[in-house]
Amino acid sequence: MTSKSNNKKVPVSESEFRVLKKAESIGWKGPSSIEEASRLLKEPRSSLESIFRLLRDKGLARVRERTRLKPVLTERGLEALEKGLPEEHLIRLLGRAGGALSLREVKERLGKLAGVAIGQAVKSGLIRVSEGRVELVKPLEEALNHVEKLRDVLKAIQRGESIEPPQEVVKRGLVRLEREKETIVELVSEPSVLLGKVSLEVARLTHELLKSGGWRGVVLRSYNIKAEPPKVYPARIHFLTEFIEMLRDIMKEMGFKEAKGPLVEAELFNFDLLFQPQDHPAREIHDTLRVEQKYSLPGISREPELLNRVAEVHRRGWGYEWDPRISLRLVLRSQTTAVSARVLVQRPRPPIRVFTIGRVFRSDVVDATHLPEFHQLDGIEGDYDYTFRDLLGTLQEISSRLGFRVKFKPAYFPFTEPSVEGYVQLPNGRWIELFGAGMMRPEVLEMAGVDYPVGAWGFGIERLAAAYYGLPDIRLLYTRDLRRIWESKKR
Amino acid sequence: MPVLKFQLDYLLNRIGVHDAELLRDILFRLKCETDILEDGQIEVEVNPDRPDMYSVEGIRRAVLGLLGREKGWRTPRLSGTGLNLSAEKVETRPYILAAVVYNVNIEDEEDLKYIIQFQEKLHDTIGRRRRKIAIGFHDLEKLPGKRIEYKYLPVASTEFIPLGGDTPSSAAEILEETEQGVKYGRISLGEEGKHPFLLADGEVIAMPPVINSNITRVEVGTRHLFIDVTGTDLSTVSKVLDIIVSNLAERPDASVGTLYVDTPYYRGLSPRLETRKMTLSAEYASKALGYYTTPQTLAHLLETMRYKIDSILPHGVRVIVPPYRADIIGEIDLVEDVAIAIGYDALYPRYRVIPTRGSYLTSTEIARSVRILMVGLGFTEVLQLVLTSPTLLTLMGLDYVRVENPVQQEYSVLRPSLVPGLLSVLRENQHVSKPVKVFEIGDTITPVDGTISENMKLAAAVMDVEVSMELIQAPIYTLLRILDIPFEVETVCPAPYAIKGRCGSLKTPDGSDLGFFGEIHPSVLERLGIEYPVAFAELNLEAISSWKSRTRNLE
Repeated sequence: MTSKSNNKKVPVSESEFRVLKKAESIGWKGPSSIEEASRLLKEPRSSLESIFRLLRDKGLARVRERTRLKPVLTERGLEALEKGLPEEHLIRLLGRAGGALSLREVKERLGKLAGVAIGQAVKSGLIRVSEGRVELVKPLEEALNHVEKLRDVLKAIQRGESIEPPQEVVKRGLVRLEREKETIVELVSEPSVLLGKVSLEVARLTHELLKSGGWRGVVLRSYNIKAEPPKVYPARIHFLTEFIEMLRDIMKEMGFKEAKGPLVEAELFNFDLLFQPQDHPAREIHDTLRVEQKYSLPGISREPELLNRVAEVHRRGWGYEWDPRISLRLVLRSQTTAVSARVLVQRPRPPIRVFTIGRVFRSDVVDATHLPEFHQLDGIEGDYDYTFRDLLGTLQEISSRLGFRVKFKPAYFPFTEPSVEGYVQLPNGRWIELFGAGMMRPEVLEMAGVDYPVGAWGFGIERLAAAYYGLPDIRLLYTRDLRRIWESKKR
Repeated sequence: MPVLKFQLDYLLNRIGVHDAELLRDILFRLKCETDILEDGQIEVEVNPDRPDMYSVEGIRRAVLGLLGREKGWRTPRLSGTGLNLSAEKVETRPYILAAVVYNVNIEDEEDLKYIIQFQEKLHDTIGRRRRKIAIGFHDLEKLPGKRIEYKYLPVASTEFIPLGGDTPSSAAEILEETEQGVKYGRISLGEEGKHPFLLADGEVIAMPPVINSNITRVEVGTRHLFIDVTGTDLSTVSKVLDIIVSNLAERPDASVGTLYVDTPYYRGLSPRLETRKMTLSAEYASKALGYYTTPQTLAHLLETMRYKIDSILPHGVRVIVPPYRADIIGEIDLVEDVAIAIGYDALYPRYRVIPTRGSYLTSTEIARSVRILMVGLGFTEVLQLVLTSPTLLTLMGLDYVRVENPVQQEYSVLRPSLVPGLLSVLRENQHVSKPVKVFEIGDTITPVDGTISENMKLAAAVMDVEVSMELIQAPIYTLLRILDIPFEVETVCPAPYAIKGRCGSLKTPDGSDLGFFGEIHPSVLERLGIEYPVAFAELNLEAISSWKSRTRNLE
């Protein structure tokens, strides 16, 4: 109902509404020049003109242009304003002299101004010249008053007021008339009548309008729906975290229990329990990062039975004397399989399904495809009747939950046999290695003290995440540029 | 991983397979990734468990087996050579064995290149860059005599012409002046300036593991090879010699010549070409693979993997493991070869639903809750590395654990706190509209009384044109209240980089540290080039996690 009645009314903006209100309060309707309207309505001239044009477009005002003659002070006029009119000097001179002086004396005192001064004063009927004498014919006050009026005219012209100047000032060359375009504005009817026809249009619905009920009397202006809003960024979870959490979800959904282990790890878990001989190239100083050896790891297992089994299996398998001191050296773990080793030495009761996600470290020089540390996902599962074929099935299932069809390739890892690598094809056609996997070697199980088969695998997360997000450089995953995080796209 | 390079045409010809894609498929099934280069070469990445595949002959043998064209391996013809090898006690490199392969017939430069490639890949992998094993190839016909001796001699007084040289020099000079001398000269040099040497009738033919003498130089046209292998582990020395001899003996007219070896540790013929008999039970194989096998199928599959069948038993198969297979430790290794022969895809992977219940660690659950709350409080998550530069940490007055062998200074220490990383991020984002609010959840490593303490922490920071501590206190207090962690505030400030009087710490009612908060000292901001004030907080999520589990247990 309200909206219907509003429809009949003419919507006006807040500024248009304000002008109509002011016009009403001073009873102005026009026509006036825009300058005059600006003065009367106390609105800046620049915006007032556009307001009137908008009012005209809505049929509420008329705007036209006319040419008029505008008075402008000449140089002489300016000089007269500054120094006084010549006849003013004469009148004051005569006044001081008691009303009359000889013509000779006047010429002496006023110099070259004398002629003009006498001529003007005579014309205006202020003095009389006879028998060589110049004489005031009006009282001094009245004479000065006459001059003052002329000065007021000049001052008004100097201020730019559009007055009709007296002929006299034009003829005397004090004022010149210039042609000028002028905008004339006028309301089509009395402002009070117009206000009855319009309704205020507002840009924003406000608390004030709602509280006062004023919203009923206003129209909400339509937006330019296609205009681009300013950019805003949400606080966000990092996209690499989102990817890692997605992997966690997959593992949990498949029934895996999460585990974790330390980043600074004893070689025992990182290598020895994984059947890597102590002279294995991966354990050399240029392949694995070590921490200063002055530290020890709290709570490291020195269970003699475990160490004896490790010594025995290494001696039998690789034919060398195993050194327990090397196994206690601290490294930055190079594989999260160290966590799987920690899990296995606990000899959990089967069936087991355990996963871990964490950082691992490598002696790599940083470039577009290498970071000195990255995340790995490691998983193990095992049971008395668990087989390699089951492992391949689980790997296929994880891959398919990630959206990939996996291709299996026989592979080599020191701690698994049979070993396998999974390759997947990216949408761009490139094949990347998704995981390394295999059945834990009997030697590994024997060292841990586990008596059922165990399948194990590890995924490198960063390269996969970079491919997933279409990043050309793996370093962009650890960007310091917040906009990259704010603007990263969901996949 | 060793990557071998061959001219593709040459390799195809030598193998007798004329389809590059077929070759690549077969090699893929044999664990090898391949890459065909633009200049017509093929790169073959061989896994370090198969050093026998570092040469053309080894690749050929494995490929033809899997293709079903050949079975077992070719037992080389053996004959005597009249050569004798004696060894004295060489402390730094005790073991040596040697062999002759007749009719190797090095045809061209390409052929020579691949023989040297074979040698170098063995050096780099199983040889542990010549420390464990080193190989010498000599032209048999250039040997000065039949009396071969392995001796430990002073480098100052032993002279020979190094490979590629033309005048004799002292071994001491060769160690200092040749590229190989500089690279490998220290491996077996004894304290008294003695080094192992190989001599033929008293003349030096090699200084293992550094360099050979030029007089026995192998070149295009060389017909027969004399091969020495020295090292620090006898069984590896023997295995490497077996691999080389087995591979070279695969050449069309080749045969093997034996030496009589008389050494402190071994007396007998060399090469030993050791084979082993192993039994694989069909039940074991079937259980390991989840794939039904019989003794007959196992025998067939293992023959394609080039084992010889000793006998087929009622419950399994007895095979002879070729002398060149270094990787067969136990029955499970035969199982893998069975799987490869079947083809992994042909094993029909099956996903078995195991009735286990999935779960997250408490720390994961807490990290997830905290992450979502922090985002809700307007903070954006960033991720930084654990490895970091010591400069910033030192500037902030933090103690940290160093990496003993860093690759780059930038990544040479372990972060004890997440706050420095947040400051590094803020520094790079001074141009974005303020306030900038960031947080990180991650592992930190702190040295504590000679041990290493790892903790998962949360750090948050606010950077604005002006900041007050409330900007960080308010969200952190809210976070702790939502997590239902009661806390007490103390004026103690454990952060040396905070402004005094504008920093406080948080404790649980039973006194364990929860974390701290404050404003970063302007001197730190100035040194970092951050022109806006920053308020920060760091919480120990392990402490929150353990409070949670403590109180949960009480209920």
